[in-house]
Amino acid sequence: MPDDKAGALEKHQLPTEVRDSLDELRALSSKAEDGDKDAKKELRRKLRGASPQVVARASDISRTAQHMLIRTAAAKDPLTQGALSGRLDMMREEIAGENPTSLEVLLTERIVSCWMVVTLFEVLMAGQLNADAKSRTPLSYTLKMLKWQESAHRQYLAAIRELARVRKLEASLPTVQVNNQVNILQG
Amino acid sequence: MTLERRDGNLYYYRSVRDGEKVRKVYVGAGEFARLSAEGDILRRTDRKAQRAQEMAELGRLRALADPVLELVEAAEILARAYLIASGCHRHKGEWRRARR
Repeated sequence: MPDDKAGALEKHQLPTEVRDSLDELRALSSKAEDGDKDAKKELRRKLRGASPQVVARASDISRTAQHMLIRTAAAKDPLTQGALSGRLDMMREEIAGENPTSLEVLLTERIVSCWMVVTLFEVLMAGQLNADAKSRTPLSYTLKMLKWQESAHRQYLAAIRELARVRKLEASLPTVQVNNQVNILQG
Repeated sequence: MTLERRDGNLYYYRSVRDGEKVRKVYVGAGEFARLSAEGDILRRTDRKAQRAQEMAELGRLRALADPVLELVEAAEILARAYLIASGCHRHKGEWRRARR
């Protein structure tokens, strides 16, 4: 069963300024979707400013969360920990592809994290089903876990769909991504 | 569940739910009543402790998954903002590119 302290995870949350940025982006998106042109302009501006910070912080948190999920799923077995960690790196590389945009990086982290949650629930459920009658937990507990497992699986599939959607749509879109330009003075 | 003393004798009854009503079911008298009552108390305490342990374990699991949920939310907000800012719109739940 999970061995990590719940209290230790409390600090692995998005900082207030990042949450505020997300709230602002959400509000502006809603206004822009309703046809507010000024909101759309503001959204583009905010996106340029806030996006890198949000991606960076969310990615940090997801890496920490993945690490804790790995430790729990591997039950402190270093070999399994290494295998899972390697698997996540491989997934990350395969899914993000070459030169991913910052949004693709975030969506990739989301897929990888959701996969890890699904895997953890699978491991825990398998443990439950294989346990002998004495050490098996009651049905209510197992049902709750099953519900969470289903929800995690739905989130995993939704994460894959989202990345596919973004890639499909951005193929012919005027990009709002900000690329850092480096000018090299010659002579 | 009650352990009743009447006329110097002990009587033990269990409360059993029967649909909407709760029935009082006679278990036994004397020493047997006392032992049954103590057994029930122990079982109840065990069940309570087990439930508390399960809740704590579910809480730990929840806490493990919470940062991922936060990431999911952040990614959703950012992806939506990005698509809207790029001129996409939703039509019956489906994202579409703006016409050029």
